[in-house]
Amino acid sequence: MERITIDPITRLEGHGKIEIFLDPEGNVANTYFQIPELRGFERFCVGRQVEEVPILTNRICGVCPEAHHMAGAKAVDAVYHVDPPRTAKMLRELLYSAFYCTDHTTHFYVLAGPDFVMGPDAPVAERNILGVIHKVGLEIGGKVIQMRKYGHTVVEMIGGRKVHPCTSIPGGLTKGITEEQRQEIEKMGRWAIEFAQFTLKLFNGLVLGNKAYLDLILGDVYSHKTYYIGTVDDNNHINFYDGKVSVVGPDGVRLGKYAAHEYTDWIAEHVEPWTYLKFPYLKKVGWKGFVDGKDSGVYCATPLSRLNASDGMATPLAQVEYEKFFSTLGGKPVHQRLTTHWARLIELLYAAERWVQLATDPEITSPNFRTIPTEKPTEGVGIVEAPRGTLTHHYWTDERGITTKINLIVGTTNNYAPISMSIKKAAQNLIKKGNVVTEGLLNMVEMAFRLYDPCLGCATHSLPGQMPLEVTIRDANGNLIEILKQNC
Amino acid sequence: MFFYGFKFISLQATLSHSSDYNILMRTIIIGLGNPLLGDDSLGWRVAEQVRLQLNLPSIGWYQSSTADTQPQPKDQREPNDHPESIEVDFLSLGGLSLMERLEGYDRAILIDAINSGKDSPGTVTVFRLEEMPDLSAHHLSSTHDTNLPTALRLGRSMGAHLPYEIYVVAVEAKNVYDFTEDLTPSVAEALPLAVQSVINLLSSLSP
Repeated sequence: MERITIDPITRLEGHGKIEIFLDPEGNVANTYFQIPELRGFERFCVGRQVEEVPILTNRICGVCPEAHHMAGAKAVDAVYHVDPPRTAKMLRELLYSAFYCTDHTTHFYVLAGPDFVMGPDAPVAERNILGVIHKVGLEIGGKVIQMRKYGHTVVEMIGGRKVHPCTSIPGGLTKGITEEQRQEIEKMGRWAIEFAQFTLKLFNGLVLGNKAYLDLILGDVYSHKTYYIGTVDDNNHINFYDGKVSVVGPDGVRLGKYAAHEYTDWIAEHVEPWTYLKFPYLKKVGWKGFVDGKDSGVYCATPLSRLNASDGMATPLAQVEYEKFFSTLGGKPVHQRLTTHWARLIELLYAAERWVQLATDPEITSPNFRTIPTEKPTEGVGIVEAPRGTLTHHYWTDERGITTKINLIVGTTNNYAPISMSIKKAAQNLIKKGNVVTEGLLNMVEMAFRLYDPCLGCATHSLPGQMPLEVTIRDANGNLIEILKQNC
Repeated sequence: MFFYGFKFISLQATLSHSSDYNILMRTIIIGLGNPLLGDDSLGWRVAEQVRLQLNLPSIGWYQSSTADTQPQPKDQREPNDHPESIEVDFLSLGGLSLMERLEGYDRAILIDAINSGKDSPGTVTVFRLEEMPDLSAHHLSSTHDTNLPTALRLGRSMGAHLPYEIYVVAVEAKNVYDFTEDLTPSVAEALPLAVQSVINLLSSLSP
């Protein structure tokens, strides 16, 4: 095959681009997936007071400001070598649990729902939340809005603002909550548990009870046997806010667990010449290319990964669902990526239960929500689970606390290699011996991308069926065979 | 499936609107964008200038270190006939969240960067939301959820009081992918025109 250089100097603006190269037989040899990325954030933070960075990271992208704020808050605590009091950690985790309920709900009903509930063959015009509501009923739309309101209200009560919290400071928070607020938060949390159970029931009925969907979920097209990571507590139960990152192999065997400050011993980043985004991989296994298997350092960080990387859920109702998930799908680990949507709903239930657990802890209203730092700032790492993957913030400062460097591994970056592999597999399914099944190719490719719930440039500005995307297909000599485009 | 009186719970603490009285339309002006992403900050900047020129309090929060937020001298400001019916806010939201913010208002003006690729950077266009040519006004398009028109239809179907008059004042942007607090010069030069467009629009609309 002739060598073609894909020039990454041309900034992609506004749409994702996939280049597919065929071998001499007309089958897919390689795919290259490029997306427009937001750049320069690390540079932007240098020279600022490190306490400001968790507020700035709120605005990295509009998808999960709360997650960035939390990872940033923990990194700043680590920079100042200060351990916040239990009440502060609980309040942060409570905010975070409410945020998770909002985020997972929105994702399921607005993004996954259309793919699932309507089916991938549904007309584009119907593949949105309105189509879902039309099918499942208007009352459910009301519940989705209600869940979002409750989640935003809790974030605002504890975080000072809806969506973009600002109350985390080195060593804790700027404020606590009153008993009156606590009661309101508890009430909303109990509603959230019911809503999560309702959603799981809906999923069971609509999706798992439908053979066509079940076949799609269990099919091989979106299945990869990679490593899985996720944060767990001391009992190896999933925890979104704190713990150690568990790493589990494609055979289900745990490779180990690492604390935040140990991440550089575990994660390295591989560079490819055709894209600016780097590909994180497991250092202890090594980079072997875009391949599956125990010997490949490619790993995945999603709700499915978290379920695979943990030994269970910390709350009772979610634990029942966890066990049902694995017994239905044939044991751990599960590799079919479309099951991520189901895993997300189990996490929704856990987040709601955890919300109530924290809201009913006697210390949640304690006025002891800050430990004043006394040590000189140096360097620190904060890790949380963003809804779409493990999020790592690493900050360095001088002795005055002025930021000198930052490094971020955001949720979706963890999945850049698996996303590329899923896209390739989808393409291979539809391009054989030079015959391109154009109908549905863009859709299948977009589904591969979307199941990772990505937070990359172009994907943040589109909805199912309308992601700006360009796919070019070239033959073995690099000649252009076909260009497929949507919304660009 | 029939819909029986589902109540859309209002986020607004009090809603003074009543259909029994001929009262002023409640208008919200929202600057949309990310204040850290270059030209994507223009929505916030324009909204702040509008707020200062109309001498309106802000219910949102915006603080810029740049000179373009210096208030004008008092005698150069236009008198505001209906100060109590216009509010200004600054958001980095789209889709469902943006729809939820519009609840309770009769009219909205959204100010945002646009990347249509069809006009030169700094071009200002004003249109009604339903006339929006394509989905390239980022925050109206979505931020990892649905687009605003779809979100509005959803909200209305559940009985939410949402504005039917929604105008978009869009400025063609050049750089919305790099983290910086600076605007591209051609976009910066367009800010006064964008501000004036909002004020003209307000003047032309019935109270």
